[in-house]
Amino acid sequence: MSAIVEQVEAKFSSAVVEKVLDEKKLVKVVVSPENLRQVALYLRDTMGFDHVKAVTGVDLSRLLKKENKIEVIYHLGSYTREGLTAEVALSTKVDKSNPHMPTLTDIWPSCEYHEREVYEMFGVVFEGHPDLRRLLLPEYWMDIPPMLKEYEPAGR
Amino acid sequence: MSTFMARGLRALPGHFKTGIFGYRLADSGEIVNMVEESVVSPDKVGEVVARYGVEKVNKVYGPRGLEYVLYRFRNFRLIRYLLNWGRMASLFPAHITTACCSVEFAATHSPRYDPERFGWLPATGSLRQSDVLVVEGTVTSKMAMRLRLVYDQMPDPKWVIAMGACAISGGLYAKDSYNVIQGIDDILPVDVYVPGCPPRPETFFQGILLLREKILYSGVA
Repeated sequence: MSAIVEQVEAKFSSAVVEKVLDEKKLVKVVVSPENLRQVALYLRDTMGFDHVKAVTGVDLSRLLKKENKIEVIYHLGSYTREGLTAEVALSTKVDKSNPHMPTLTDIWPSCEYHEREVYEMFGVVFEGHPDLRRLLLPEYWMDIPPMLKEYEPAGR
Repeated sequence: MSTFMARGLRALPGHFKTGIFGYRLADSGEIVNMVEESVVSPDKVGEVVARYGVEKVNKVYGPRGLEYVLYRFRNFRLIRYLLNWGRMASLFPAHITTACCSVEFAATHSPRYDPERFGWLPATGSLRQSDVLVVEGTVTSKMAMRLRLVYDQMPDPKWVIAMGACAISGGLYAKDSYNVIQGIDDILPVDVYVPGCPPRPETFFQGILLLREKILYSGVA
């Protein structure tokens, strides 16, 4: 499993920001947003990851390191590779004050709705997304995106 | 006076006797009386406006003429009892399902419990013929206006049962949810609350019996 990360690191050594190697749970590569599409294309074309299972957003501003960033994680899946024991994830960290990043919808079409959900819940704008509307929130929603740490629910 | 106006309340002191209920002031703890604007009788409207400085009072005309006769007739104690007995003994429920309480709702209709003994019919009809709306489960703010639409489509007289913790108070999603209505009594007048997560069929059955009792001893509109 760690061979995946090593190959990515060998090819894009400057792009990899950090990596998580947990053979039983999660193998994750964090790359910079500029190189995200290249790494995604490499993973799809040569490593055989042909679909995205989920896209997750994490607001890192009040977690342990208190980075002012939002992490967007793409959980990758493969119908052709065997022996994948852990989740493989490709992720990127975008600045929270200006959350813009390129979309991966044209690389993996299954990202489309997941990216719309990350857009409405975290306010991350995916540049090049074909249909970037809100997905689940009410039509009249006027507040900030609700999964950000600054959001305070109205209560009763 | 002006503070109440600012809050959008019609707060009136003292001696206006129809439809008054107590209202405790937040700052001083003093109890003032408040008039629901809808119950001011038409000949008193000018007086109320002049005396209390409100801009507008809703005029609600009571039953008159033949309507009044019928109203009085329906409100004779025996007639009222019989009418309510009839209503109580054949309740058509409509149910709006958003969560797991529907399983228990269906189980209540099984032969083991058999609410048809008490006139609670299977929930198969249209909204236009239903009397009771049973709200099962979490109501999100997106769902809220649809729920109100469902309620408004039902003809009078109608009653509402809030089933389960989510419908009563938000349940699991209470207090820190961005999208869940914290109890459907924010948007509907609820008659019976059936607690539980989800409630057992026995609990819901008790709710049915309570609603029957409430209908039997209530007034006629």
